[in-house]
Amino acid sequence: MPVPTYPSGTVRALLGTEHVSEATRAALQERLDAPAAYAPQLLSAESFALLEAVAARLFPQPDRPEAPIALAPAVDQRLAAGRADGWRYDVLPPDREAMRLGLGGIQEIAQSLFQADFLALAAEQQDAVLQALADGRPPGATWQTLHAGRFFEELLAELTEYYYAHPLAQEEIGYVGMADLPAWTRIGLNEKEDREVNPMGE
Amino acid sequence: MPDEEVLEEGVLNPVKPEVQDPLLRALLADEPAAPAPAATDIPQEQPQAIPAEADEVDCVVIGLGAGGAPLLARLAMAGLKVVALEAGPWHNPEKDFATDEHAQNFLFWNDERLSAGHDPLAMGKNNSGTGVGGSTLHYTAYTPRPLPDDLHLKRDFGQGEDWPVGYEELAPYYEELEQFLGISGPTPYPWGPARRKGYPLAPLPLNGAAQLMVRGAEKLGIRTSPAANAALSARYYQEGIGWREACTNRGFCQAGCSNGAKASMDVTFIPLAVKHGADIRPNSFVTEIERDAQGRITGVVYTQNGAQQRQRCRHLFLCAGSVETPRLLLLNELALTSGQVGKNLMAHPGVQVFGTFEEAVRPYKGIPGALISQDTHRPADADFAGGYLLQSIGIMPVTFAGQVARGRKLWGQPLRDYMKNYNHVAGINILGDCLPHADNFLELAEEKDARGLPKPRLHFTAQENEQRMNAHAEKIMRGIWEAAGATDIWAFQRYAHVIGTARMGLSGDDAVVDANGRAFDVPNLYIADNSTFPSALSVNPALTIMALSLRTADKFLEQQQRRDA
Repeated sequence: MPVPTYPSGTVRALLGTEHVSEATRAALQERLDAPAAYAPQLLSAESFALLEAVAARLFPQPDRPEAPIALAPAVDQRLAAGRADGWRYDVLPPDREAMRLGLGGIQEIAQSLFQADFLALAAEQQDAVLQALADGRPPGATWQTLHAGRFFEELLAELTEYYYAHPLAQEEIGYVGMADLPAWTRIGLNEKEDREVNPMGE
Repeated sequence: MPDEEVLEEGVLNPVKPEVQDPLLRALLADEPAAPAPAATDIPQEQPQAIPAEADEVDCVVIGLGAGGAPLLARLAMAGLKVVALEAGPWHNPEKDFATDEHAQNFLFWNDERLSAGHDPLAMGKNNSGTGVGGSTLHYTAYTPRPLPDDLHLKRDFGQGEDWPVGYEELAPYYEELEQFLGISGPTPYPWGPARRKGYPLAPLPLNGAAQLMVRGAEKLGIRTSPAANAALSARYYQEGIGWREACTNRGFCQAGCSNGAKASMDVTFIPLAVKHGADIRPNSFVTEIERDAQGRITGVVYTQNGAQQRQRCRHLFLCAGSVETPRLLLLNELALTSGQVGKNLMAHPGVQVFGTFEEAVRPYKGIPGALISQDTHRPADADFAGGYLLQSIGIMPVTFAGQVARGRKLWGQPLRDYMKNYNHVAGINILGDCLPHADNFLELAEEKDARGLPKPRLHFTAQENEQRMNAHAEKIMRGIWEAAGATDIWAFQRYAHVIGTARMGLSGDDAVVDANGRAFDVPNLYIADNSTFPSALSVNPALTIMALSLRTADKFLEQQQRRDA
């Protein structure tokens, strides 16, 4: 089955309609309106730039060259506020420490594999660094004590949840569940209401 | 009461909350002068002859989820002066709840727990809640009854534990709850013993994932049925709150129901409790449980909006769930004689299997768990103790994407490409029994939280029994999806509800509370939540937590009646 491609603008068009509740609209609009410029609150400028570069490979967005969905700011904001999501792998240190160590460790992998700063690498080289991390046995002293697999999993899961919480990412996968007012009545297989989206070409 | 016109448009809840305990009923019948907890005319005065101290109440209830709310209502209806302390806020779902997963993260217990062992348990949104209503604010509202042999694992398999309460004792409470909450489900129910009453409402409609599971299961000869869900398939009259509206198929149960169709505690037992005078105190985090020289509890200390408060009480009902309940006991060195507090930690095997279909599923619509099969309750070819149920799953996009990232280890363009199939993805999962094991327990860690209290650390490693069950279940679910026409089938290893950390039993030698939920060590301490389950059960726990909660209230009231008599 070919991968479906959905038209753009669908969620944004629904946001102004009576199908979306006030609380829902506010949550989604805030993400659309987030300013492009962001000054990190917790991470150093250098660490933040590295996190942005990592996020850009975990979620490459060649289709949005001007304004990619920003993922690193939400991580920095959460760490600055000291917010948690209810649990942490016991093998990892507290979140702030894990992030500082892990970002340093990514540089170690870059140095070890390519003798260069992660930010100076080509996209394929950056991917190779991240794949080494994802595979769980990357080079570098950091990873003797920091659990590589769990660090990568946590970082990827957090960025993934930010990405798919964004209205543009929801347009990309044809999700319009936020437009749930007054009700869904056609819920079976292949059943669709007018406000729901078909992939392009259908 | 509703007027005649609207009566025809909804189902008038025919059942008043009633005392299920025969002894308590008999006691009440013998003493017509005594206050009648079950009657609709609730005496406004307290039954106790001796006036309480000015600031002492009869009962404090800690936690307002499925464990605390039912008994709170029962105690308030009996005329007792009750105060409920809930760590989280009191929401207005209609106004505050967004149809947005990220915005709804406030529903979960987000204070950090440390997850250890070979299969560290995901907490937070996976299985924990906070707020007036507790985890019922985000439960899927799946409310199957356990089957009678769920309570007798040890008898049947020589492993695990038997419950000190039999199914026949719980059945009247299940029936009461099904009628009171307005559970939608099939009548007759295909599995388990015949029932006195059917479900009060017809099942909710099947969504795409459920229809696909029917298709696949039929080809394999596996029976399926629309599930029992505590969400209304029609308007329903709720004492204490009025008419509750029918489910609008938002598919968002796990991130909060905004129209009151789902029977979370905040739209069922809590308004009933409030109507009968219960004092609800949200944002109240209990830190200390105070005792006198004899070891009886005299009150609790809690923090509310930054200020420390004390509430004196005659009886304490601890209903904070299977992490915070043992944590409070350990922090306060309370009821520890048996050595079982924090031990016997169990978690339901909950493997999910996803597949991609030609048809559009649009998994954000309809009650997520629309379909059930309990044909795998005791599989003939099982190489493990116990069994599991199968359930279809619809899933919200952020939750799904997070699982894809963790479970499939996809990232970069492959992750984005796979997620474009979201509208064509359907899932099945199991909910299976779990055996207690010495390696699986909760303890207090050295590391402190923002309040300066030790964080809980949960050790969990799936043992041979769980591993075998997971393998059996994954094979069956893959088979169902293949038969239904799925491609790109994959499994996500997952464990759900945490259970068993303050278990009930026949003796204080190996259990924390007795069959009535009363602590062996402390005569005026009761526990009512999933921490008391002696075994995990092969069904979702909410209905049984509520049943035990009502039963504990009845047993407590019975004891009070006898003392007064």
